[in-house]
Amino acid sequence: MRLIDLLSLIADNLGRRKGRVALTAIGVVIGTAAVVLLVSLAIGLQQNATSQLWGIDDLTRIDVSPGYSEGPVISGRGGVVAVSELGGGMQVKNLTPAAIDEIASLPGVEHVIPRDYLWGGGTMRYGRLENYPSIMGVGTNDLSVFGYQLREGSLQLERGTAVIGHWIAQNWYDPKARPGDGQPEQPDLVGKTVTVTLMKWAEDGTMIEKKVQVRVVGILAEQRSEADGWMFMRLDDVTAYNEWFQGKRINRNKDGYPMLVVKASDPDKVIEVAEQINNMGFMASTPQSVVEGINSFFTVLQITFGGVGAIALLVAAIGIANTMTMAILERTREIGLMKAIGATNRDVLTIFLGESAGIGFIGGLGGIAIGWVGGELLNILARTYLSSQPSYGMGGQLTASTPTWLLLFALVFATLVGLISGLYPSVRAATLVPVTALKYE
Amino acid sequence: MDSQTSQPFIQIRDLRKTYVMGRNKVHALDGVDLDIEFGSLTVVMGPSGSGKSTLLYLLGGLDRLTSGRIHVDGQALEQMDENALAVYRRRVVGFIFQSFNLMPTLTALDNVAFPMRFSGIAPKARRKKAFELLKQVGLEKRALHKPTELSGGQQQRVAVARALVNDPKLILADEPTGNLDTASGFAIMQLLSDLHRAGRTVLVVTHDPRMLQFATNVIYLLDGKTVSQAEYEAASTFSQPQEITEGNS
Ligand SMILES: Nc1ncnc2c1ncn2[C@@H]1O[C@H](COP(=O)(O)OP(=O)(O)O)[C@@H](O)[C@H]1O
Ligand SMILES: [Mg+2]
Repeated sequence: MRLIDLLSLIADNLGRRKGRVALTAIGVVIGTAAVVLLVSLAIGLQQNATSQLWGIDDLTRIDVSPGYSEGPVISGRGGVVAVSELGGGMQVKNLTPAAIDEIASLPGVEHVIPRDYLWGGGTMRYGRLENYPSIMGVGTNDLSVFGYQLREGSLQLERGTAVIGHWIAQNWYDPKARPGDGQPEQPDLVGKTVTVTLMKWAEDGTMIEKKVQVRVVGILAEQRSEADGWMFMRLDDVTAYNEWFQGKRINRNKDGYPMLVVKASDPDKVIEVAEQINNMGFMASTPQSVVEGINSFFTVLQITFGGVGAIALLVAAIGIANTMTMAILERTREIGLMKAIGATNRDVLTIFLGESAGIGFIGGLGGIAIGWVGGELLNILARTYLSSQPSYGMGGQLTASTPTWLLLFALVFATLVGLISGLYPSVRAATLVPVTALKYE
Repeated sequence: MDSQTSQPFIQIRDLRKTYVMGRNKVHALDGVDLDIEFGSLTVVMGPSGSGKSTLLYLLGGLDRLTSGRIHVDGQALEQMDENALAVYRRRVVGFIFQSFNLMPTLTALDNVAFPMRFSGIAPKARRKKAFELLKQVGLEKRALHKPTELSGGQQQRVAVARALVNDPKLILADEPTGNLDTASGFAIMQLLSDLHRAGRTVLVVTHDPRMLQFATNVIYLLDGKTVSQAEYEAASTFSQPQEITEGNS
């Protein structure tokens, strides 16, 4: 039997039982729609979650913190790393310049950039406006190594200059404003000099202030990461301020840096490099490992959601099997006739299998259409209800995302469900003895 | 007669078909020997339940024999597997049933063309051939009618056209006039006679004596066995009332 003849015969046979085919297909429609909608939702949630992760934009980045361990640390590399003893036998491996050199020499490492925070508070003033940035010192004069996008100005840091994050640039407020005045107009800061006031308390309880002039050279575009809240300055500047806070010099060879940002040359090398750094006794964390954890959670979610839909499809499969069994009873004489005029067992088998697969396919088409439309409707609803609220950088939106592979998969799956549910009835139809089928009343 | 050099078109030897129903065994055919020449028109007669249909179904490859052999056109049916039997039914046999067995949703034309779906003929050629055959049975004006819109006689003529669609050598008709009025029944008989005269081998099961005028030979069946005309006539005088009470199926 030729394929087109087979297909047209299947179409004819389905066409002359439209009502029943439609009723049977509804089960498949519901099941497929459930699969598509639920999995789309899981995918959408996952995309949202990963896109809102802090600092996840940069997959070559490894954050390294000092290593803490119990008992003495055996320094395998001739003691180039400083080890200081904490109370209770805790050992800490500090991120000293020597450690930086050692990490920098690992294969696959491109940059090692130490960072330090400003240890005290700083108020930033511009005209009558005030701002309270977190100040971050970075051991580089080029912020582009972090992959930050610029909104305005430059990413090149010199001493006495700063690059400020997206939120900081938009969070100026007027201390003299009355309640209800709303946010003042935000200044355009690039090239402007702001005053940063550092404050500390002396031993006698008096407050000491130190004012420094900082020129803003750049404003970052929204990064959806911690960078949005930072004011970046040169590490030497921040170290100097911290020394002023402390009242004594900082010995990096002994105390190290609180954190290093390591950039791998290639995202594929990140895990390997992080492992080596961990083996050296430090604590390395990669956005990749976070993403992987989140991804595996959402994979479980997708499978669970998909499973719920699959159960609906299973119920539909029973419906298809039932319809096909009924159809074979009703069409027993027809089967006998087909055989009498020369249809082989295989012809009959493929016709009936084709019909049940066809029901699955029709139901699958309906299901993916409804599932997809349902997802889009959900998105429209989410947009209208949730976007009316101010976004705080992490919108937490409920969105469905329907990839093409999911639609194709659902269609193939529905068709397969039809095919498999038709298997038993079709085999029965195919193996009927022609004369018995012809005599069937 | 049983020489290897000139085998008859149909050769049946010690053919048995036994139905097992629980503990009972029904010997529908109980040792039939037959030779049927190519191009003959054979009428099979016998009371209801004598095994006529069984004989035809076995000849048509629609059922399996219990023992014996059936050779048609040099092919041994008892040795064929399911696929070979399907091909045999498609290529060699055209079957005509008492109850027409038309597809109710298809037009006359599509019913006639239906078997060609399984033999890989292109749709256009199918329609052409089907139309020609409808013309041959005098139904070209009814080509687009559904079976319910046709009389019994017309439906059976569609069935005859369908049986001819793969150009079979052997036409098997099981009581083709059984559901028809006298006039339409006779038209069908003439049609079968035409097929015979066109060179096909025809076997017809019928109770209608009018068919005998077209026959080249007659087979009488009693209780699954072939008998002579004399034996048959002797028996049928007794079995006549029985036949009426049982009906003819
Ligand atoms: N499928 C079957 N199962 C059991 N017995 C059957 C079956 N088909 C036919 N028979 C029996 O075989 C005998 C011959 O039947 P059949 O060939 O139909 O007779 P006819 O066509 O001459 O009336 C009958 O006794 C009938 O009851
Ligand atoms: Mg009969």
